[in-house]
Amino acid sequence: MNRTQDEFVAARKPAWDELDSLLAKKSLLHKLPPVSISRAASLYREICADLMRARGAGFSGDVIDVLDSLSARACAALYSAPPARSAGLRALITTGFPTSVRRHARFMALAVVLFVLPGVLGFVGAVRSRGFAIQLMPESMVAQMEKSYSDLGHGRAETTDSMMASFYVYNNVGIAFRCFATGLLFGLGSMFFLVYNGLLIGVVAGAVTAAGHGRNLFTFMAGHGAFELTAIVISGAAGMVMGYALIDTGSRSRWDSLRAKARDLFCMIMGAALMLLIAAFIEGFWSPSSVQPVVKWVVASLLYVLVLSYLVFAGRHSSARPGR
Amino acid sequence: MLDNTVEVETPEHVRFRFRAAGPTRRAWAYLIDLLVRAGVLLVVEIVLLLATGQHLRSSGAVFNGGTLLALFLIEWGYFVAFEALWNGTTPGKRGLRLRVVKEGGYPLSFMDVVLRNLLRTADFLPVGYLLGVLVMTWDGRFARLGDRAAGTMVVIEDPVRVAPPIVLEPPPSEAEIESFPHRIVLPLPEREAIELLLRRRDLSPARRLELADMIAPTLQRRWGVRLDDPVRFLALVYHLAVGGAAPSRPREVPPTQIGDRP
Repeated sequence: MNRTQDEFVAARKPAWDELDSLLAKKSLLHKLPPVSISRAASLYREICADLMRARGAGFSGDVIDVLDSLSARACAALYSAPPARSAGLRALITTGFPTSVRRHARFMALAVVLFVLPGVLGFVGAVRSRGFAIQLMPESMVAQMEKSYSDLGHGRAETTDSMMASFYVYNNVGIAFRCFATGLLFGLGSMFFLVYNGLLIGVVAGAVTAAGHGRNLFTFMAGHGAFELTAIVISGAAGMVMGYALIDTGSRSRWDSLRAKARDLFCMIMGAALMLLIAAFIEGFWSPSSVQPVVKWVVASLLYVLVLSYLVFAGRHSSARPGR
Repeated sequence: MLDNTVEVETPEHVRFRFRAAGPTRRAWAYLIDLLVRAGVLLVVEIVLLLATGQHLRSSGAVFNGGTLLALFLIEWGYFVAFEALWNGTTPGKRGLRLRVVKEGGYPLSFMDVVLRNLLRTADFLPVGYLLGVLVMTWDGRFARLGDRAAGTMVVIEDPVRVAPPIVLEPPPSEAEIESFPHRIVLPLPEREAIELLLRRRDLSPARRLELADMIAPTLQRRWGVRLDDPVRFLALVYHLAVGGAAPSRPREVPPTQIGDRP
């Protein structure tokens, strides 16, 4: 048994090479025939033993490195992560997203306040004085907003619609993701972006209303607002959940505390992203269309009821089962 | 010791080591990915231009819309898509032999991929991944914020290979063995030094001789042995102390690469 390194290597190398070639065939081991899988498993155990032996005997670094990398790869292949399935997306929509939103109802409430209050302030301020609006936005932008809502209702060319839809995807999902990610700074980034975006939207709405086109604007915004504004609030809430997990850690370390929330965060932000995609299509194609304002308002009300009841009720039957 | 190895313990209580990738190597990978993304965007633009038959100056709605959609997908989707489909690698990471794995050494799940890449935005703050790099220096795994939140790390997958055995050619003569003390004890650091020198392939014979000449005299003085060739002397010491491959049957073990996936 007391072999030297070179004898050990010569004796064991065939097994190492065999495992190496098994692993090189497919990075996903479960696609190999069953015989190969069990062979890989037993080779893996042998090679773990080889590694311990090599380390114990003080063999040179290269042998240990080879065994390290080989056993690491085999371990990763044998204990691989659950494969992504399409059922995952369905579960996210039917239960994961709404239940995780409800689980963090307090942060949702806080996010609504942080978003709506500055929005109302901005709206009132901008309605009462144009100077207020100009303080917060460049005058040219205010003027452009006023102009663009002055004659809605004719509808746009379809090509413009698709361009605007892309713009909303790019811009709004970006805003939501940023709103979420900056929550890592103990929630401060999310709070800032919620207030900032709320204020901005309020100011635009106020300025346009002051110019006398408020009806146009709200008719335009009503439809996609149900999805868009809600999704921004949800991303902000998710960011604050993340930040708060870093502050109130319970008995865990900061990062463990955050990781315990990882699944909820994932569900919330992916759900918000899906909602923003829907919002972008409504905003691109439906909102600017020449449909009668009455119809738009009815549809918008229905959409609000739909979104809210989805968030409140969806997945209730299975919410007793704790999320993984 | 400045060390970037991360030890991982499996359910079988086997410990093995990863080499965690530092900021420089990851920055290079990021740069490659950035170029790839720019290239993809360029191709999309050209295709859009050709398809819509427009000039850049009078670019129309379809062109703008397509560009924005491509920008969005590239900005938020590139890393997620590659890391999810290529098991923790991207073109840039492959170029530098990097892979993202879970802290336990397991492959990433889709959730980990999404979290670590959405949180890039936080790592990027205030500009150019400054916060991310700062956070990396805090941690033995060089984990940026996104890595910490998702419980992932970026490891180096350089190919490693078993060095060739130390073969004493021609076999030691009786006289050579006689000239040494009966029992030779070689402390581990010295043994490692000799192995490092004799097993390395990338040394030219002249350089090997030069290095051996620096080590050999100390040992020769210790045992009162004289031998003209310091390389042969060190190989002899190694064989007597450790017992090498039997010199009577010289083998050609081809250097096999392990851990190098194309």
